[in-house]
Amino acid sequence: MNIRVENLEYSYDDFRLEIGSLVFAEARVTSIVGPNGAGKSTFLKCAASVLTAPRRSLFVDGKDLTALHGRERAKLVGYVPQEPSYTFNYTVLDFVLTGRAAFIAAFSSPAGHDVRLAEDALQYVGLSGRGRRPFLELSSGERRLVLIARALAQGPEVLLLDEPTSFLDPRHEVETMALCRRLAEDKKKTVVVTLHNLEMAVRYSDAMVFMKGGKVVAAGAPADILSEPLLRDVYDLDIKIVECAGQKFFVK
Amino acid sequence: MSGSATKVPGWIIWAAFLLPLGLLLVSLSIGSYHIPLRDIWATIGRAISPGAGAAPSPYADILFRIRLPRLLLALFAGAALSVSGASLQSLFRNPLVFEFSLGISYGAAFGAALSLVFLGKGFPPQLAAFVFAALAVLLVLVIAGKSASQIVPILLSGVIVSALFQAMLSLVEFFANPYALQSLIFWLMGSLADAVWGDLAVTLPIIVLGIAILILLRWRLNVLSLGEEEARALGVNVKWEKVLIITVATVTTAAATSVTGVINWIGLIVPHLVRMMVGPDNRKVIPLSAAFGASLLIVADDIARSAASFEIPIGILTSVVGIPFFIVLLRRSGKAWL
Repeated sequence: MNIRVENLEYSYDDFRLEIGSLVFAEARVTSIVGPNGAGKSTFLKCAASVLTAPRRSLFVDGKDLTALHGRERAKLVGYVPQEPSYTFNYTVLDFVLTGRAAFIAAFSSPAGHDVRLAEDALQYVGLSGRGRRPFLELSSGERRLVLIARALAQGPEVLLLDEPTSFLDPRHEVETMALCRRLAEDKKKTVVVTLHNLEMAVRYSDAMVFMKGGKVVAAGAPADILSEPLLRDVYDLDIKIVECAGQKFFVK
Repeated sequence: MSGSATKVPGWIIWAAFLLPLGLLLVSLSIGSYHIPLRDIWATIGRAISPGAGAAPSPYADILFRIRLPRLLLALFAGAALSVSGASLQSLFRNPLVFEFSLGISYGAAFGAALSLVFLGKGFPPQLAAFVFAALAVLLVLVIAGKSASQIVPILLSGVIVSALFQAMLSLVEFFANPYALQSLIFWLMGSLADAVWGDLAVTLPIIVLGIAILILLRWRLNVLSLGEEEARALGVNVKWEKVLIITVATVTTAAATSVTGVINWIGLIVPHLVRMMVGPDNRKVIPLSAAFGASLLIVADDIARSAASFEIPIGILTSVVGIPFFIVLLRRSGKAWL
């Protein structure tokens, strides 16, 4: 399923997000890049309905996402937040189980079927056998994978990941991005990630969106849109693009 | 100790409800007039078998008119305070939220004071306590306004509203005549001694219904405890469920407080004890809080009735025993159980 954005406007304090028209394709990884405060996270939160976007501004396969009931929307769109602070130290499995909330009535509890889906999701991200561990005692790399597993247990077609690689060491960074690719290629999910690491973005995404000051500056395949003037424009910094071993590197 | 270390099978959670029931039976024999357990069985047996036309047991009055209503009140009030505390702590993601920090205690206290001192017998203090407890929570939520979902604004509003009702309570005390003041002070210290079937007939159904609703919502509380943004992204109608839980917890606590007077700390200590034992999963925490809260208040009331030649006010007992107990547990286990 693809996501279509049409005249999405959202403002708070003196920040204003304004996206005219944008499409995120099915079975592709799209990364959103740009400086801090560009509106990347705000956009993801609008798409995840954490923030209330105006009516008829977001469509999933032509369906108005903003008009859907919370439960129905959560079955289509999964959201992986930047790691928030949690008060209670649930076990990994109990944490992933909360991804099933859209399928479980308020006065009910998860059944064996939900537990199996949560365990499958943990296995998919490579954390099978970790279910009984307390979530907050995992490394931050593993915690990030648990958050992704929870979004998978939700069974959505669209996955929105807010800076899934921040604070991760190079190995976990690569593993997390490789996981995003597998989700797009094998499971045909529409994967949208916000990133700061341009090398990762170029290497692992099919499309890139450059944002600045709440607006989209450029969008398209990395090879088509990447240029030094664009980087200067977006980051207010001279960044050289260097090719080495078939990969692009960004020298600041 | 955290959730992973203990794997508690489901049936144990529900078997824990046998504990308060057992304690209730044993406690029927405790009091200024000792009744042997065997006679309790005989008396109960005679009361519930319709055909027995034999002379009523001499114990029947003590058991059915004095001890049973009192113990039932202890059981359900203990469960109500603990379950409400556990639910609100999860909902507000704040382990320090309980009946006291939402203004319920002082709201109820002021209501009872107003009724005892100024309204006389015409207006039952229980009803006034209930109304003002609910009013206090409403006020807390209105003051917190749009930021009611965040921890600090709601705690601040709770402090403000408690201070307001505390001041008004002092004002009432200032104008009260000595006789009214005395009964007010006893009410404020909390007591189960005045439990009569008439009051219980009104409050117990409310308490039972409230506890049942919160127990049913136990897993949902796990989802809500992750925070409003995440719960919404997971498809939960946060606003409506939040209102539901706050309303049910408030009404349940207010109903209990209106007949027991101010009994503090139960709603804070019991959920924390339970989390130390089984971890934070509310599917276990909520039912076990009900069972242990009920047990704790029954035992506390046994001590209140039998430790001294006079009756110790139970609110004082729970504070004097509960606070040091809590400090020891806190120091010993760090904060790992959260």
